[in-house]
Amino acid sequence: MTISRDEVLHIARLAEIAVDEAELATLVSQLNRIVDYVAQLEAAPDEGQGDDFLPGPARVALRDDRVRSEPLAHPPAALAPAWRDGYFVVPRLSAMEDA
Amino acid sequence: MTAAPDAVAREVAARLEAAAPLNAVLHWSAGGIEAEARRVAAMPSAGPLHAVPLAVKDNIATLDAPTTCASRILEGYRSPFEATALRRLRAAGAMLVAKTNLDEFAMGSSTEHSAFGRVHHPLDPARVPGGSSGGSAALVAAGVVPAALGSETGGSVRQPAAFCGVVGVKPSYGRVSRYGLVAFGSSLDCISVFGRTVGDAARVLATMSGHDPLDATTLAEPPLAVPETPTSLAGMTVGLPTEYFPADLDPGVRAGVDRVAAALRELGATVTEVSLPHSRYAVPTYYIVAPAEASANLARYDGVRYGPPRPEHEADLRALYRATRGRGFGPEVRRRILVGTYVLSAGYYEAYYGTAQRMRARIAGDFRAAFERVDLLLTPTAPTTAFRAGEKTEDPVAMYLADVFVCPASLAGLPALSLPAGRSEGLPVGAQLIAPAGQDTRMLAVAAALEERVVAAGEVR
Repeated sequence: MTISRDEVLHIARLAEIAVDEAELATLVSQLNRIVDYVAQLEAAPDEGQGDDFLPGPARVALRDDRVRSEPLAHPPAALAPAWRDGYFVVPRLSAMEDA
Repeated sequence: MTAAPDAVAREVAARLEAAAPLNAVLHWSAGGIEAEARRVAAMPSAGPLHAVPLAVKDNIATLDAPTTCASRILEGYRSPFEATALRRLRAAGAMLVAKTNLDEFAMGSSTEHSAFGRVHHPLDPARVPGGSSGGSAALVAAGVVPAALGSETGGSVRQPAAFCGVVGVKPSYGRVSRYGLVAFGSSLDCISVFGRTVGDAARVLATMSGHDPLDATTLAEPPLAVPETPTSLAGMTVGLPTEYFPADLDPGVRAGVDRVAAALRELGATVTEVSLPHSRYAVPTYYIVAPAEASANLARYDGVRYGPPRPEHEADLRALYRATRGRGFGPEVRRRILVGTYVLSAGYYEAYYGTAQRMRARIAGDFRAAFERVDLLLTPTAPTTAFRAGEKTEDPVAMYLADVFVCPASLAGLPALSLPAGRSEGLPVGAQLIAPAGQDTRMLAVAAALEERVVAAGEVR
């Protein structure tokens, strides 16, 4: 299986990662090397459909649904670049303006 | 007699200054260490880790120092909370003295993929310390701290422990809370520990282990016990998996593992061959599962939730995402996110991710079958000793194969450790013990028994 230049650009769009034209050829080559390598699993002997496997506890341990006091280590104003009148100040995004 | 925290603080600060050429540390300050010493001195009673200086990999959340994951995208980031593991260690009297360098977001096997420069091997600056927890390994090997925290996703503590000649212990998945460990591959990630000795590593591991309500995947079990060192291993059977001793294995590495096998026999254990036939597929399985999980976990670094603001793109959300992530992540992180996105994408999910998930089950099944016959497994930790910087950076797959013997236990969620096993041509060799899930303490006890006989082995070839 070969991943084309266009496919790499498509994957990069899905992953929301800008790729410079200058590095594209190297990236295409490296991704093909990696995907060729992992594709050896397809050649592993077919032993029927096995189960998936996840380590850890058989069932996750859920906490009681109880509100607890969790004091903040830093005040909220220290968690964002800007804070005004009790709110975080974030950039205006054009994508939000049509809504 | 217990050490005075202020004296420890001064000594560690001097050693950190002296170790600066290793580039093993991303954040430390004399003032920060002094503050830790004052905190510990003011504790009403001396804890089990009173005044023990600890270095912590910079993908573990700390309150008073940045947590950057060695990435530009988190440069200067300060966590609003502290990792449970570290909170427990500090409550036991340990002092956080430094945040250590790593491969960016713990993705790498040489600590060359840090945005803040590579870490140098303490014995030969032209070589790598292994990775991704190379900064923590190098600091312990250089004698700056007796123990340090790292993290494992596919061997990132055991492999650098082998390269640097220190003890590296990965607990069973779920033994130590992941709360505050920056997520990479959530079904694999484990906070793990380096120590100068098995005992030091065991004390740190025991203190930070145990159920945590803030991590629903921790096991509902009490903290681990620090084991007594057995004087005899009579009645124990240790398996040597034939697949982990290929014909082209570095002869020095083989000699080191042979030395450990001989020590096991001297202590009364039976050593026998076993087979783990699917372990040969562990690296390709890992490089589907881990990037797939990483591509989801690292979606949060988008320039809005995390990542430096880029005012030039604020008019276009997608442009903001792409610019932040394209410039903020280094090449290896970008490669892994792209591979993960590819194997999870429509049309390829079943062929790659589905196949890898089933192979993961077979790899774990091999271990279960082997542990019906033997109590522990002994293998090399890495196929070679520490390699030269730059040797594998151009070929990602060659780098991935440095983890060929450590990946399988990670996929299976098993406890495993690397024990120093002498040196080959002056460079440390590591031997790996792997135990059944939950038998962390027994594995540590065997390692402690072996330690005296093999650590001082010197040249093995």
